[in-house]
Amino acid sequence: MAGEEQESNSKGFRLLGILDVQKTPCARDAILHGAGGSLAAGLLHFLATSRVKRSFDVGFAGFMLTTLGSWFYCRMSNAKLRVQQRIIQDGMRNKIVYEGSVLDPTIKPAAETPSGPS
Amino acid sequence: MAHPSQLGFQDAASPLMEELLHFHDHALMIVFLISTMVLYIIVAMVTAKFTDKLVLDSQEIEIIWTLLPAIILILIALPSLRILYLMDEINDPHLTIKALGHQWYWSYEYTDYEDLGFDSYMIPTQDLTPGQFRLLEADHRMVIPVESPIRVLISAEDVLHSWAIPALGVKVDAVPGRLNQTTFIVNRPGVFYGQCSEICGANHSFMPIVVEAVPLEHFENWTSLMIEDA
Repeated sequence: MAGEEQESNSKGFRLLGILDVQKTPCARDAILHGAGGSLAAGLLHFLATSRVKRSFDVGFAGFMLTTLGSWFYCRMSNAKLRVQQRIIQDGMRNKIVYEGSVLDPTIKPAAETPSGPS
Repeated sequence: MAHPSQLGFQDAASPLMEELLHFHDHALMIVFLISTMVLYIIVAMVTAKFTDKLVLDSQEIEIIWTLLPAIILILIALPSLRILYLMDEINDPHLTIKALGHQWYWSYEYTDYEDLGFDSYMIPTQDLTPGQFRLLEADHRMVIPVESPIRVLISAEDVLHSWAIPALGVKVDAVPGRLNQTTFIVNRPGVFYGQCSEICGANHSFMPIVVEAVPLEHFENWTSLMIEDA
């Protein structure tokens, strides 16, 4: 290709050096939901029990569960969208290929008229 | 192709590679969560002020650290097996190409067309034109139509080679005396690069694979030109 290749402006931010939250679909939302869930769970537990260390443990458990739940929900939704996208793409391609032909589903067969002997 | 200092996969150009990318993201999230949990446990253990000297057993934690890894492995294995079986689906290829590994070049035979075959040598660095990629460009590309299932039969004429294209999610060993088969569909037009992936001698690093995916009518024009030139 001509010219220099421009590096993307946003280099991915990797959590723990492994998970690129900017470029991985659903990762950013899952981590943010997890952080929120962790904060909520830990805070509620502390307010209820005043136990600091256990509240941290509960907060961490909340982080894990919320992140996992958000991640799987988002991935399932994306997977369903991808399937729909593929169906639509195949339909568009078939429409172009079969348009006007005998196999065109939009053309209704004409009512058969009885033809007499010529 | 890969850009400099790239760590992750290349953008997918086939449905299989898309699935592999999604599975990789899934597995990586699980790895990230496990790493976070281990880090948290380490910090908790290091900062603990009290030690219980009388712990003999603990049924609860034993159950947890038996069941949890089993569940995690199932969560990883199920999508993995799904992709494994997806790769073996028979999808009625429109075109069959033979890719033969030699020391140190690839040759391609389009036996669906009469007399269409050619060798593909790496373009030496000193012969590159501006804009071409060092150690990746070849003098003859393997041209295929987009959106068509392609079957590639891979073998070798001398020693082991491996025909690999990361963007398509393809890597198949080329074994002398054996015919290995792979099928793939290229989603979008473009040029996709790969390199020999099995050590095969002095110039193992200098026998690249270049696949050019073009619209069908361009492919037909290309085959006509190649047959005329042959």
